[in-house]
Amino acid sequence: MPEQQEISLSILKKRWLKFKTLKRGYYSFILLIVLYGLSWFLPVLINNRALVVSYEGDLYFPVLSGYHSGSEFAQDAPGEALYRELQASWEQSESDNWLVMPIYPYSPLEDITVKGNKMYEPPSRKHWLGSDNTGRDVFARLCYAFNISISFALVLTILNYIIGVIVGGSMGYFGGKFDLFFQRIIEIWSSLPMLFVIIIISSIIRPSFFLLIFIYTIVNWIGMTYLMRAEFYREKSKDYVAAALSMGQTNFKVMFKHILPNSMVPIITYFPFAIVGGISALVGLDYLGFGMPPPTPSWGQMLDVGLQNISKWWMVLAPVSAQFVTLIMVVFIGEAVREAFDPKVYSRLR
Amino acid sequence: MTTYFIRRILLMIPTFLGSTILIFIILQMAPGGPLEQAIQQLQAGAMQQGESVGSVGDIMGGGSSVLPKSAMRELKRFYGFDKPVYQRYLIWLGIWPRETKHREVEFKNGATEAQKNMGKGTYMTLRLDGELVQVYDKEGNISELWKASIDKEGSAENLTLATIFQTEFSGILTGNLGTSYTYDQPVTEVMAPRFKISMFFGLTGLFLSYIVCIPLGIRKALNHGSAFDFLSSVTIFVAYSIPGFALGGVLLVLFGGGTFWDVFPLGGFRSPTEVWETLTLWGQIKDQLWHAVLPVIAWSIGSFAGLTVLMKNSLLENISQDYIRTAFAKGLQEKRVIWVHAIRNSVIPIASGIGGVIGVVIAGSYLIEKVFNIDGFGKMGFQAILDRDYPITLGFLVIVVMIRLVANILSDIALASVDPRIRFK
Repeated sequence: MPEQQEISLSILKKRWLKFKTLKRGYYSFILLIVLYGLSWFLPVLINNRALVVSYEGDLYFPVLSGYHSGSEFAQDAPGEALYRELQASWEQSESDNWLVMPIYPYSPLEDITVKGNKMYEPPSRKHWLGSDNTGRDVFARLCYAFNISISFALVLTILNYIIGVIVGGSMGYFGGKFDLFFQRIIEIWSSLPMLFVIIIISSIIRPSFFLLIFIYTIVNWIGMTYLMRAEFYREKSKDYVAAALSMGQTNFKVMFKHILPNSMVPIITYFPFAIVGGISALVGLDYLGFGMPPPTPSWGQMLDVGLQNISKWWMVLAPVSAQFVTLIMVVFIGEAVREAFDPKVYSRLR
Repeated sequence: MTTYFIRRILLMIPTFLGSTILIFIILQMAPGGPLEQAIQQLQAGAMQQGESVGSVGDIMGGGSSVLPKSAMRELKRFYGFDKPVYQRYLIWLGIWPRETKHREVEFKNGATEAQKNMGKGTYMTLRLDGELVQVYDKEGNISELWKASIDKEGSAENLTLATIFQTEFSGILTGNLGTSYTYDQPVTEVMAPRFKISMFFGLTGLFLSYIVCIPLGIRKALNHGSAFDFLSSVTIFVAYSIPGFALGGVLLVLFGGGTFWDVFPLGGFRSPTEVWETLTLWGQIKDQLWHAVLPVIAWSIGSFAGLTVLMKNSLLENISQDYIRTAFAKGLQEKRVIWVHAIRNSVIPIASGIGGVIGVVIAGSYLIEKVFNIDGFGKMGFQAILDRDYPITLGFLVIVVMIRLVANILSDIALASVDPRIRFK
């Protein structure tokens, strides 16, 4: 019925409008979306390969085409062309060749084996946040790690939600033995110290991005499952469910078409906090050395190296601040979302 | 009520068994276990000496080994891998006999009887009877203490190898957590001092966060929307957005004497023993506190934000209730309304959270222990996983699981005792 749809739309719209009025959360939301969107274009923004090279009349696009040896551009160096040096020398000799570097011309993976890089360089105009113990640029790594952290947390949370809705929903909806069985499993599962279980598993198999998400999902599905169980349990006793069933709707349809949309509030309000959990978990695992395989840029790994070189303050403060700023934005969003969805007007004492 | 808690305590048993079985299976699946590591080490040692010991046999499932068979057998027995998994689990629990004091006996050239000298003038006689070995003592009676079994792997055509051993029921249920491979000490002895260290930080952190968070939460609720509320909210957001161990790292950089201020030590539980013992009692206290400041801050930051917000919201909610209006209406003083009526109802959610906080505070601290290089309980468990020290890993996990299970019940008890309306069934 179209009329009903309009009403449900307007509730969402009302919440969205309310969310928009909560400036702190709204601007954090916009900023985070923009930053995350930008972070997918990092190879064009932060890279040591030139965007465009014009050499003897030919155009090259190293960012897209990948490896070009130095000899292709008459550079007297073994291995890959050093575009920064190339640019400097061409500018100095005022030759007709030119190239355009990305805005920040350092890659997160180039270390001291690349000419000109030094270990433990303090922040400067060249390296905004200094360089680390292998001469890699801290700022470049920080930005790439941002993309990985957010992606990790997003994929992890969505997977957890899918499992949570299916398992938890069935538990709450069907109840009975199925519910009891999974309750026992959840009880056992939640009594285990999960980070340790992950460490045990990760020490057996060196995880890649998706393997790590898989491992983490195995141990992390409980929270959402329990939330959805309670939600479905409460909703199933309501009249609209009985009405739908009496009209001959299948269980599947009742669960996902009728109950699920009515259980959206906890799903959405919990989302930002699940993201916070995912990001923190990845940092913790990377810090212990059981996260992403090296040399993947990650805040946890940077923190680990930083704490081994505690006098090089930028190596600790940079990853912690990056993580902190990201998390606080997500927390702001979460707080605003919660307020928009669940407006509680507290009476004040005075 | 009592029956409810008795049932809860009884329900701990299947949960405990379930989680230990799970841990056991995960550990058994792990390749590169202690046995394989020991073999590798021995092989590497043999290689370095430039000689291969014994025959090259195919003992460990496909891998060639330069270890003699008898050494392999002894290793397997030492790490308990001569038994199937379910037996190992039951032995570890203590409801399957554990074999100790192994000695080997050989039956040469089809002999059915062999004697084993047990020292001090005593000896045991073993009689081979088909697949069974029977042990007799000096007087010719069947020995109750000693048992024997045939070692099929070690036996050859004209040589039957038997092992003679004593059995005892000794496992986690009898309080025996085994002996650590890496420390070569009973697991309980390895754990005790480290557990105390973690408890020290955990309980101090817990205590501090409660005495800070509850008054802070109350004040924030009473001045909801004021400048104080806003400023402290900023602190809370900061605390929530920075994990304890990361904050620990920042504190170390700022106050650990790197580039900035040199106020606090870089880590450790207290000064090294040589220094510690020269200190007076007052000096020891000062030294201990001096080392504890930064870790305790990092420890308590985790619960700080959650606890304060919980206290604040809970009190706010109560203040807007009708009974508070009634209390004001009948002319009670504001102090009395808040401190006697509102606050007593507001601490209920705090009390129910105490179990979770205990679990996190005591067991969930290895990241912070690693940052501050504190030789605590969590770090020991972490290291044991890396070293494949199964007795410690298992013992550690068992204790963590137990703490969590007990903490859950504790929070129910706490909840029931502060809220007379709550009746568990």
